[in-house]
Amino acid sequence: MQKKDANRSRYGNVALAALCFVLQLALAPNLAFGSGRFNFAVIFAFCISLLVGGRRGVVYSFFAGLVFDLSTTGPVGLVALLLTLTSYVLGLEERNRFSDGAAACLSSFAISSLVVIFVYHLAMLAMGQAGSLFDVVVMRTLPSYALTFVAYLPFNHHFTKDAAGGVSARPRRGSHYSVKGL
Amino acid sequence: MPRMGGSKPRSTSGFRRTETNSGAGLTTVLLVVVSLFMFTLSSQEAGSGFFTGVRSVFGVVTTPVRYVGAVASLPFNGMANVFHNLTADERTLSDLEAENASLKSKNAELEEAQQTASRLEQLLNVQSSYNLTSVAASVIGSSADSWSDTVTIDKGSTAGLAVGMCVVDANGAVGQISECSPTSSTVRLLSDENSSISAMVQSSRAQGMIEGSPDGTVRLSLIRLDQTVNVGDTVVTSGLGGVFPKGLPVGEVTSVSKAAGALYYTIEVKLFANPENLEEVLVITSLSSDQQATAGDIADADAQESGTSTKQGSSTAGSTSSSATTATSKGASDGSAAHGSAKGTSTTASGTSDQG
Repeated sequence: MQKKDANRSRYGNVALAALCFVLQLALAPNLAFGSGRFNFAVIFAFCISLLVGGRRGVVYSFFAGLVFDLSTTGPVGLVALLLTLTSYVLGLEERNRFSDGAAACLSSFAISSLVVIFVYHLAMLAMGQAGSLFDVVVMRTLPSYALTFVAYLPFNHHFTKDAAGGVSARPRRGSHYSVKGL
Repeated sequence: MPRMGGSKPRSTSGFRRTETNSGAGLTTVLLVVVSLFMFTLSSQEAGSGFFTGVRSVFGVVTTPVRYVGAVASLPFNGMANVFHNLTADERTLSDLEAENASLKSKNAELEEAQQTASRLEQLLNVQSSYNLTSVAASVIGSSADSWSDTVTIDKGSTAGLAVGMCVVDANGAVGQISECSPTSSTVRLLSDENSSISAMVQSSRAQGMIEGSPDGTVRLSLIRLDQTVNVGDTVVTSGLGGVFPKGLPVGEVTSVSKAAGALYYTIEVKLFANPENLEEVLVITSLSSDQQATAGDIADADAQESGTSTKQGSSTAGSTSSSATTATSKGASDGSAAHGSAKGTSTTASGTSDQG
């Protein structure tokens, strides 16, 4: 049973990575709101951190950020750095945190994604890529954040529903807490 | 208590969790260092370097995905444009309409200026080709009555113009000044019934007169039947009379016929200079000696005329120098008063006034 769940989770993670990868490359450049763009790397990093967490989540998030950096014109490593740190913080518990409920996950994502996107654009401002703080906050951060939050909603719905059903639960190492509770 | 999933005893779970967290922490620290390293290096690259190359390769590899995304998002982009256009406010539409009207007007002005420049360039070419001493003028009006075929130009005596001076445009001869005021002049066109200038068939050198008519038809008269003229032949000025420079294009023969018992052909000529499209013209103010008919030309003209002089006994053939006159009883002036030419002016010395 555990083995089946482990494989299923692994395949699920790969599918999630592939989906976000395609969406980031295919949709994000072509669908925009003002100067804002979707950021599926943030979505993937958040989902994997909440699903898996721990070291694996950190590594996945690092590569997600790296892919984002390579697909944009900003410096390589910036988003990778941000997502690595974010994933570490979010994945400390190393459990499926989608079981906490949709609202909790949404609020968690709202805060973490806003921080990541804002810090990213702030760093671009520091590097001279943006014109002013107003440009960074109003013209770039808020539109990007809005788009990314909207894009995250289906993921949140899927994983919280999945977690509530208890189908994709993965045995956690280092923790005695199970999804089904005690 | 039944356990599921083979979970570890509580006493060791915290220890294992700490181990895992430290493992994640170490990994995080390592990846943070790597990220900072990459960030520093890539920030220093100015368009070329390792990361630039990696980015290029990544771009090439992911091109198919990007292409599919671009195609898939086309309908959404189109809808966005439609939505943007639909929500364009009244002010935007009004501004755009005003700008469109302004641009159209400006475009029309620029096209007009371009055409004017083109015409003036052609005039300059004519001026240089024929080495004309001339003054440029613009046509500012045409005849107000049906009895005369004239145009008004915006130069007059103050610009050095005088009655009798010939007028040409880029296509050829246009007419002669018949009236001259200080700031404007009236030009009698070749198609006017009172207009008559000496001309010749360019190929056969047959001398004749270009005359206008009430219906605007231009004819080449006084071409004898034993001379050669064909449809399509070019008619040029002969230079006789010293008004028009020699060799200036006049028109093209469009029909050649002869009536029974007639001595001359009936030849119709289509003028090169379209009187309906005149805008800029050149007024030739003086002729050089090589632009006028030579003595040999006059002799040739006389010889042609002498072939009918005994038959006709007409005043036009009676004088050996009469062929040098370009103005006949129609009274169109050859500008003898203007140029002071003494060639063949016996019948036309006073023919400077319009009979129209």
